[in-house]
Amino acid sequence: MSDIAISVKDVKIRYRYLQKMSLKSLLRFKKPKKVKYFEAVKGVSFEVEKGSILGIVGKNGSGKSTLLRAIAGIFCADEGVIDLHGNNVSLLSIGVGFNSALSGRENIYLSGMLLGFDKKQIDEKLEEIIEFSELGEFIDRPVRSYSSGMHSKLAFSITAVLETEIMLIDEVLSVGDAKFKKKSYEKMKNLISDKNRTVIIVSHNADTLRKLCDHILWIHEGNMKMLGTTEEVLPLYEQFMS
Amino acid sequence: MKKFFADIKKFKGYVAYATRAELKAEVAGSFLSWVWWILDPLLYMLVYSFIAILVFRSGEPYFPVFVFIGLNCWQFFAKSVKASVKLVASKRAVVTKVYIPKHLLVLEKLGVFAFKMLVSFGLTVIFMIAYRVPVNFNVLWVIPLLLLLFMVTYAVCLFLMHFGVFIEDLANIINVVLQLGFYVSGIFYSIENRISGYSVLLAKILVNVNPQALIITDMRTALMGSGEIHYIALAVWFLVATAVVWVATNVIYKYENSYVKIA
Repeated sequence: MSDIAISVKDVKIRYRYLQKMSLKSLLRFKKPKKVKYFEAVKGVSFEVEKGSILGIVGKNGSGKSTLLRAIAGIFCADEGVIDLHGNNVSLLSIGVGFNSALSGRENIYLSGMLLGFDKKQIDEKLEEIIEFSELGEFIDRPVRSYSSGMHSKLAFSITAVLETEIMLIDEVLSVGDAKFKKKSYEKMKNLISDKNRTVIIVSHNADTLRKLCDHILWIHEGNMKMLGTTEEVLPLYEQFMS
Repeated sequence: MKKFFADIKKFKGYVAYATRAELKAEVAGSFLSWVWWILDPLLYMLVYSFIAILVFRSGEPYFPVFVFIGLNCWQFFAKSVKASVKLVASKRAVVTKVYIPKHLLVLEKLGVFAFKMLVSFGLTVIFMIAYRVPVNFNVLWVIPLLLLLFMVTYAVCLFLMHFGVFIEDLANIINVVLQLGFYVSGIFYSIENRISGYSVLLAKILVNVNPQALIITDMRTALMGSGEIHYIALAVWFLVATAVVWVATNVIYKYENSYVKIA
């Protein structure tokens, strides 16, 4: 039996339209308006084996990113269970915690520590991150002086080089110029082909998913529409979307 | 509480680095750079000394030192409180992308203002030497008083950060309350000397009920060597602040995952 890295069971996630209260309404003792809920994920269950790559597809607003953020622990599921079986996880987000007044080098530490790495671990990877980002001497200049491409290159390099056991990737496979895009794609491919690493990718790019993923989960309006191998699910999804 | 200490251990590196980074970022673009950390309290002290001496004819001994101590404690409290109300919104870019225990955002902010307060206290020491302020063993009380100031501020900030997520105009209310707090905490006058003239009981109440007034009064006693430390009131406020921190931390742990979901 294969090791399971991620178990998601009957997960429901609701957004509460918690309208902010004003002092006026508090002083008038007005009964607060009934809280409205929007259920973004409506009972999704699946398991991901250790070392495998799961792609999540679905039209915009179907709950893919919400599910990914719940797996990353940014917020809890309202119902159901998400079990990562003790693995550490990172959501590959571009530019987490960047402070634009600080240099690229300082932001590597800031972002890395926010992702749960300690200074020693970042020290070990620092040169690799700087080299991968291709920023050269710009690494010691304030991030606010960077072009958007340079900003993306640095952010991608941090999250790609500082590896975790489970990687969650939300539409960030292509950043920077054409050359860097190719390089980042190759890096991503290397990272996720590591058999010790479990990956979930949310993407609209069918070609990327076809090349990288073993299985595909198709979510439609918060519900699980289909779960199967890439060959089974992707053609049906593409047909549905065309 | 087990989770609280585990999170502190896990994220202590980030909190320390983020605090340093924020301090550095604050002065990165300014002409006078870190000199502002000294100039800022110094200029405030001059303004309030001018108003108190010339306008209100205040006559406390070693008046600039007297004002400095009050201002240092108050500025740390007031700036931290103001920042904590909108803290989650101001850190939206972080809290929507990665999980970080939200009480650590308060800790990071307090770290920034605590550093500035310590710089100001360094300046206070220089003024004390210049004015030849007599010092006795009471000076050892500075450390527990700073700890209490930190705990009281931390307790208030935790609650305000939480409610600031849900109550739209909390920042406006807090501004007014802080303005009131500024005048009743005895920053440029001595509550015990001034108010006792009208009512000794009222002076006692004002000092003991308001932790800021208590800390400022006792900080002056510790540094300027006159008066008595309110041991019991300090101990009671420390227990209250610790209990509030405990409750507020639990409330935040319970609701922090909803912060991101608020539309």
